[in-house]
Amino acid sequence: MTTQSILLDDLERDALTELVNIGVSRAAANLRKMVGEQVLLSVPAVEVVTREGATTLIRERESGELVAVRQDFAGVFSGRALLIFPQSNSMALVHAVTGGALSVADAADMEDEALAETGNVVLNSCLATMANMLQRPLTMSLPEVIRGDGSKLFHLSPESSDGGVVLFLYINFAINDRDIRGYIAMLMDLPSLHALKGLIADFIERVVGDA
Amino acid sequence: MTEADAAIRHQDPEADRALDALHALAGPLFDALVKSGVAVTVTDPRRDDDPIVYVNAAFESLTGYSAREAVGRNCRFLQDAATDREMVAFIAEGLRRDGAVTADILNRRRDGAPFWNRLNITTLRDADGAPAYRFATQADVTGEYTDEVVVEQLRVSRQRLAEAQERLRVAQAIAGAAGAWEWDIAAGTLVADVRFANLYGLDPVEAAQGLPTSAFFAPVHADDRLRLKIAVAGALNGAEVFTRDYRVVRNGVVHWVSARGRTYLDDNDNPVRFSGVLADITDQKRVEEQLLVAQTAGGVGSFEYLSGYGTADVSEQFCQLLGLRPATSLPVRTINAVVHPDDPPIIQGRDGQHVFGPAFHEFRIRRADTGEERWLASRGEYRPHGTGGVSFIGVIYDITSTKRSEEQLRVLTETLEVRVAARTQERDRVWNLSRDLLHVIGPDGLYRAANPAWRTLLGYDEADLVGKPAGSLVHPDDHQAAMERFTVLSRGEAIGDFDCRMLAKDGTYLWVNWTAMPEGDAIYGIGRDVTQRKALEDQLRQSQKMEAVGQLTGGLAHDFNNMLTGILGGIDMVRRRIAEGRMGDVDRFLDAAMQSGQRAAALTHRLLAFSRRQTLDSRALDVGALTASMEDLLRRTLGEQVSLRIDIAPDLWPAVADDNQLESAILNLGINARDAMPDGGELIIAARNVHLTDRELADSDHAEAGDYVAISVTDTGTGMPPEVLQKVFDPFYTTKPLGQGTGLGLSMIYGFIQQSRGHVVIDSAEGEGTTIQLFLPRHQGAVEAVASIDDEFAPVGAGETVLVIEDDAAVRLLVMQVLEELGYQGIETADGRQAVPILESSRHIDLLISDVGLPGLNGRQLAEIARERRPGLPILFMTGYAKQAADQAAFLEGGMEIIGKPFAIEQLGRRIGEILRRETS
Repeated sequence: MTTQSILLDDLERDALTELVNIGVSRAAANLRKMVGEQVLLSVPAVEVVTREGATTLIRERESGELVAVRQDFAGVFSGRALLIFPQSNSMALVHAVTGGALSVADAADMEDEALAETGNVVLNSCLATMANMLQRPLTMSLPEVIRGDGSKLFHLSPESSDGGVVLFLYINFAINDRDIRGYIAMLMDLPSLHALKGLIADFIERVVGDA
Repeated sequence: MTEADAAIRHQDPEADRALDALHALAGPLFDALVKSGVAVTVTDPRRDDDPIVYVNAAFESLTGYSAREAVGRNCRFLQDAATDREMVAFIAEGLRRDGAVTADILNRRRDGAPFWNRLNITTLRDADGAPAYRFATQADVTGEYTDEVVVEQLRVSRQRLAEAQERLRVAQAIAGAAGAWEWDIAAGTLVADVRFANLYGLDPVEAAQGLPTSAFFAPVHADDRLRLKIAVAGALNGAEVFTRDYRVVRNGVVHWVSARGRTYLDDNDNPVRFSGVLADITDQKRVEEQLLVAQTAGGVGSFEYLSGYGTADVSEQFCQLLGLRPATSLPVRTINAVVHPDDPPIIQGRDGQHVFGPAFHEFRIRRADTGEERWLASRGEYRPHGTGGVSFIGVIYDITSTKRSEEQLRVLTETLEVRVAARTQERDRVWNLSRDLLHVIGPDGLYRAANPAWRTLLGYDEADLVGKPAGSLVHPDDHQAAMERFTVLSRGEAIGDFDCRMLAKDGTYLWVNWTAMPEGDAIYGIGRDVTQRKALEDQLRQSQKMEAVGQLTGGLAHDFNNMLTGILGGIDMVRRRIAEGRMGDVDRFLDAAMQSGQRAAALTHRLLAFSRRQTLDSRALDVGALTASMEDLLRRTLGEQVSLRIDIAPDLWPAVADDNQLESAILNLGINARDAMPDGGELIIAARNVHLTDRELADSDHAEAGDYVAISVTDTGTGMPPEVLQKVFDPFYTTKPLGQGTGLGLSMIYGFIQQSRGHVVIDSAEGEGTTIQLFLPRHQGAVEAVASIDDEFAPVGAGETVLVIEDDAAVRLLVMQVLEELGYQGIETADGRQAVPILESSRHIDLLISDVGLPGLNGRQLAEIARERRPGLPILFMTGYAKQAADQAAFLEGGMEIIGKPFAIEQLGRRIGEILRRETS
């Protein structure tokens, strides 16, 4: 994990993990309000990998088709955020967030819509919280549902060809005691990562000074 | 030769032989194996208790025993009480049945450390199929068994982990809960219960009353504090789930604690409270740590799978072994996808159907990251889980190197057998197809084996030879030389290029060129038929002789022409003088002609001596008197610078020889000695009695053991180097400048002595003078005083009738003239056709004089015809060159005599007179 160690040290990764944890907690709170169910979200670890590394990672860990909600973000750091589930888990998520109120056929119809909404909540909360914590504004595009394998998901827009990095985060959804596993991936170029790194350092300094 | 080899050779001659035999059987392959780094032992099952006869360096490093310690012992010295007796029996049974066995056996090194030894034993057989050597390779496979230990450790660790967790639960149940804390975010205070206070080393009362939140970090290990602060910061800022394991230092002792917390938000989603429980997980951590160390150190990756799930829990090492990115859980499909399509998958029983119990299998993988192919082994246990499910917990580890060395070993062992067989076949083929004689002779000197070439070449089957003494077929003349060679071989030295004649079954002899070498207690010989080569050598020798004869003839023709010029010229001059009536100086020309004729006669005499076909007039001889009579002549010949000493033993025996030839020989030797002493010196001529044995006469052609008179001629001259000494008797060999010597001197002496049944010995060294000894056979009896009748005139006849048969008209004329002048009545015939009718007639004949070489019937045949009609008729043969005449006894019967040409007229007359007088008396 040379890339990772160069780009973020242990402490920075811890800090980023916590930032994302704060964000997904916000998202969970929003989801709770949306669906009226007990929802808990947590991110146990974060890895910084290359785009190819991310592709390998997801291929090794998920052998089936993937479904993802994608949102681009821009600000002091810019890039693209993805909330990724195995295809097999996406319907479970839809069921969970819709509380089982829908028939199978309706749920199938609504799958993309429900996923887009869930993704929007999670990613928005996440990024917004990070921006907030880092005290910098971010703008977000509308969510988009895409399907395919890892290489398709991590294929950045053609203009960013500098071999950027992927912040790869595991996310556990605990909805009504059902565990659904997924991933959050943030694709960004090196200048953005550098900016993020600066912001994380500021955060660490504040936290350490705090206590 | 390795140091180990050397050590063994030094120590054990059996091992030495075994090593040589193995080299012979397996050749370079054996060397390759020995050097391959694989531990190798060789045992000898023919010896008592199948002792080790060879170990290589790899064995020494594997077991810690040196070759010196191992050789001579049975392999079981590596075993101990812990060794499985059944496995030992299994190996013994396998060797007895198949001669080969592969087994793992628990052995002990010299330092006592146990190791699992994978034995691979092969039996090498001799030509008869009996076990000759056992060849064993040994490999330390403790790794595979250690993995079993690791699995066991894993199981025990998991058990202990479960127990620790159980204890924790029990403790928590008894205590009500683990230590608990509550952090009031708004107030900035921390309240904790007694157990939290205990874990953190806080005062329980103060903790219960509330502490500043900084107390949460105070006892935390410095390395973990910062990360904990970050995690807590997350929680305080709204991250709802808090999970952290970290170390606290209490009374200087480090404890691992596990903190699980939640952040509670108010209605506006602002965090207000952060609370959780804290448990001591030191035991658990230690077990986990041990497990991790064990797995990482052993290169062992662990996994746990429950049927029905798509993923398996895996360790980091597991991912590394497969070349996958580290993860704690992986899809089974991903795991099984790296396995070679022909091999069984790592995780089986996904449908919940699998036999329970331990499972082991080996498989190839293609690493996900590098694509490299590796061999892995999986060892684990399937257990029932829940209702109808299966759990599979196990480990995987790399066995590529073991597999590769196994494969190498297998290939080596297989090819070893094939190569040994091929070599044996090859050797047999050479034995059977060779056109050379091959044989083995035992230490008893008897033939042990012979190849089919013996039959082809000499006509003997192997059965004819085996048990016969070697050398029994050697030609008697070569026998002694052959026995000498055999003595050399018995000393352990090889011989080469020895030629001898071998008796074939059909009675003929073939020349065979032998090479032989001793090996062990046997002698191996190779013989090549060189009869043709010998024949060619003879031809060459013959043609060389012919060349020499050509040279000689040329030289002789030259000399004879000179002499003939003297004779013919002299006679011609006499004839002119007579015609002119000037008789005054006729004698002068006649003397010259006579001298030339005598020189010619002397030359032919010498030539005959050289050809050893001269007619020797051997008779009893007083060597002392003869030598003494030569003293004057010798002194004149030697000159003033050389002093002469003659030393004759007083009681010298008479010898048998031709006195003229002996004189000539002594003079010749004297001249040679003079020439060897250009600056002067001393010549000693001595004579004494000796007895010679067969041994001393080994080099002689005709001499037999007995009494001899030895005449030695010794000079104090330059002597001869060995290479000259070798050739001195060769005709035409001379060390004198061209034109000063004929090179015939010593050769003629040799011929004379040989013909006299004597012996010559030359003793010389460069700078130390030369001694030549002539041995002449002793005459038994007294020396008859031979009346010299040279000066007598020939007696006159009384009209006796003499039949003369001579094809040469000139000689015939001469003989007839002599007869007439001496008063005999001659009948003249030219050959048998004219003579036989006269012989068969009743005409009176007193003497027959005949040439030996005649056209048609020869002289000897005519003599027989004559003796039929006229027994007792005296016969005198005339011969210039008569092979038969050389040995008169065999040629002549009673009443027959021989006279050599040329002869003086007086001489002929005397012989005729003697014969006829004897007849009449």
